[in-house]
Amino acid sequence: MTAILEVAGLRKSFGGVTVADGIDFVLERGAMHCLIGPNGAGKSSFFRLILGEHAPDAGRILFAGDDITALRSFQRIRRGISVKFQVPGIFKALSVRQNLEVAFQHHLHGQSLSATTRAMLEFAGLEHEADLQAGVLSHGQQQWLEIAMAVGVEPQLLLLDEPTAGMSPDETRKTGEMLHDLNDRGITILAVEHDMAFVEQISRRVTVLHFGSIFAEGTIAEIIDHPGVQEIYLGTADV
Amino acid sequence: MALFQTAFAMLYQFGDAFAFLVISCAGLAVIFGMMGVINLAHGEFIMCGAYVTATVAREGLPLVVAIIAGAVVAGLVGMVIERLVIRHLYHRPLDSIIATWGISLIATQGVLIVLGSTMAGIGTPLGAVTIGGDSYSAYRLVLMVAAIALLAALYLLFYRTRFGVVARATIQKPDMARALGVDTGRMYGLTFGLGAALAGLAGGLYAPTMTMVPTMGATFIVESFVTVVVGGADIFVGAAPAAAILALIRATLTAWYGQLFGQIGLLVAVIVVIRILPGGLSAWLKRGSR
Amino acid sequence: MNTRYNDVTAVTTRREGSLWRAIGHLEGPQTIGRGPLFWGLVSLAIVAAAIYPLFADAWTVGNAAYFMVWTFMAMGLGVVWGYAGALSFGQTAFFGLAGYAYGVLTINIGTAYGFTIAAILLSILLAGLFALLIGYFMFYGRIRGVFIGIVTLSVTLVLETFMAQTAGPQWRIGEARLNGFNGMSGMPPLTIPWPGGDLALFPGRGFYYVLLGLVVACYLGLRMLLNARFGNVLVAIRENPHRAEMLGYDIRLYQTLAFGLGGALAGLSGALYTAWGQYITPSSMGLTAAALPIVWVAVGGRRDITATLLGTILVLAGFQSLTIYGSQYALVVMGSLLLLTVLAAPEGLIVAAMTGARSLWRRARR
Repeated sequence: MTAILEVAGLRKSFGGVTVADGIDFVLERGAMHCLIGPNGAGKSSFFRLILGEHAPDAGRILFAGDDITALRSFQRIRRGISVKFQVPGIFKALSVRQNLEVAFQHHLHGQSLSATTRAMLEFAGLEHEADLQAGVLSHGQQQWLEIAMAVGVEPQLLLLDEPTAGMSPDETRKTGEMLHDLNDRGITILAVEHDMAFVEQISRRVTVLHFGSIFAEGTIAEIIDHPGVQEIYLGTADV
Repeated sequence: MALFQTAFAMLYQFGDAFAFLVISCAGLAVIFGMMGVINLAHGEFIMCGAYVTATVAREGLPLVVAIIAGAVVAGLVGMVIERLVIRHLYHRPLDSIIATWGISLIATQGVLIVLGSTMAGIGTPLGAVTIGGDSYSAYRLVLMVAAIALLAALYLLFYRTRFGVVARATIQKPDMARALGVDTGRMYGLTFGLGAALAGLAGGLYAPTMTMVPTMGATFIVESFVTVVVGGADIFVGAAPAAAILALIRATLTAWYGQLFGQIGLLVAVIVVIRILPGGLSAWLKRGSR
Repeated sequence: MNTRYNDVTAVTTRREGSLWRAIGHLEGPQTIGRGPLFWGLVSLAIVAAAIYPLFADAWTVGNAAYFMVWTFMAMGLGVVWGYAGALSFGQTAFFGLAGYAYGVLTINIGTAYGFTIAAILLSILLAGLFALLIGYFMFYGRIRGVFIGIVTLSVTLVLETFMAQTAGPQWRIGEARLNGFNGMSGMPPLTIPWPGGDLALFPGRGFYYVLLGLVVACYLGLRMLLNARFGNVLVAIRENPHRAEMLGYDIRLYQTLAFGLGGALAGLSGALYTAWGQYITPSSMGLTAAALPIVWVAVGGRRDITATLLGTILVLAGFQSLTIYGSQYALVVMGSLLLLTVLAAPEGLIVAAMTGARSLWRRARR
């Protein structure tokens, strides 16, 4: 196994608030990994740093062996990182089909574009909603649409920020199956998640972030039994 | 002595530019800072203030009274317009800007139709003072003092009065302010009125130095826009230092290359500033202090 | 999911398919109007416009050509504002720059060998490059909606001030005197080389047909562009810039390019305006002039290129007929129209009418 993402000594603070305090993190290719931690632990900031939305104060980010620390967001995406945000980030005034086409058209053309669009409509279970405005979809459907948009660009690494936020248990379970399916196709997945049942469903290994640094890492069982982890969660009355 | 003379001349140029920028942008900055609306009828509120001031002054009342009358009338007009138009567009800030442009067109051309292409002005009062052999307009020195006084008054208003506290709460967290029982609609109305009154005040203060034409507001508009853009949303943190920096640029360029290059210099400054400091000076200064 | 393998076939079909695909993009998600009825109406409108000069006197025809001169700037603003979501208040800057450029070039070089056509192209190029430069500073500076309006408006007002003070004899470029506030005049009209003597297109039938051709070409070309990838991405950026960037699009580049296109189109209007009237003044870049494109595009409807075009021609015709009573009355009406549109039909009056007509049509068919 080789590492797809390597983060070394990543630091970032805003004024007095430190959101990343020397994070060292390695993600193996093909992994399905969850990132947990109490609110304010720096999970979302960590994603933004990986995506290039914030420039780190120090440290390096390597993707597939290449240093991407200085690249701009869209360049990182083109190298094979894709993201699904917590709040559904779709183009509400465009149709579902157009949303997918916009997502795929910079690397697909003509027939392969329509084939992928069709395939992703099916993947997201939105075949019948293809020509509806994306803004009228249910919350869960919007989440799936965005996952389909993020997946259809055929990333090597997919970042998911609380993919099940606001979903019903049934939708959550379906999302979990969806992610397993993607992982089987070779996409490495890194997800921020609060719902421990969901984490158990999808993840083999878990990393706990706390105050902008890595607090613990291990299998789910190890993390659940880790006394310190219980403490930081109970201490902040989260979960 | 010659050195002193040159230094004073430079200082005068700077003070004049600073006063002009502060006075002309205050109204725009208050409305933009509080409501996120760029009031493109800003120039027309200035014109309104100037016309009222000139009319009242020509009736024989003291200039100070005339200027206050100009500010009050512009403020009232502003509140009426806020009620009729702007209030319906709070959730669409870009559309409210377009609407103010419509108002600007109607006002400029309406005044042209009703009052004709020019109006008798009032002369610049107070004559000249001689300092170190050069003579300077005393009224322009008064304007410099007025600019400082204006900043001080606005500071007191926003940081030391109940209105100011409520107003700042309304900008920062409109929902929270509403939940705490603040009539946010009324706050916006008062704010727009205040901005319009400040524009009227600018018109009144500069009325004695200008030709009274319906398009006179356009003279102020580039400078006030540029100051607000460079300053960012917060008038104290941003607009005042922005005015100082821009005044320096303008005074220097004007002294060396003439008026036009002063204005081009401002424009270049604004483009460079937005390139390196998005959010303007206030966002940058606040980031430093957080 | 093995779509990658389909790429091989897609590549081979792409070459021959690109023309058809471009034509296919005449209809699409980003423009209103599709199907035989719509294109029937469009053809009818073009035919009507083409035979119109046979039934009207030369002055009226020249006047109609004058309306068409402005439509390019309006359609450009439609792209920048309606599609790319960047509200520019200063399209007149590019209009004026190109107008002056046409004057300077043709006064110095003349009309031989169809140079006026080259002058128009050069003016468009200049305006487009200037817009790219301004766009670069704005979009790469990540400035937000409102500020784009202020910066562009400031640019056009400063250009006006600059041109207004060029009255002195030292302000000349070659043979061309800039003439300050009074404006520049005496440049030749658009002249087309023709066997047996060049055709000078003074306002009238010839100029009208050239413009009609340009309007139709520009309109159809923009429809194709806006329904193709470029347009889809622009609309995506307008809807959700963050998501668009996180799909791998360099949103600053797209916005800058759209702004450059809008500037070039404004430049086309400016050069044609100067060629039409052999006259350009600084006030073409002033506050009032800058407001008018906003009125046309807002009243017509900015998010659809057809609505923008129709709205522009209708508002211009209305403006023209009101000017009989004095331009200040016409401008008051323009201001009121803008206010009314923003308050009552923010998507634009023509768009509102078009969507209304479409739903009536659907209901009638049921």
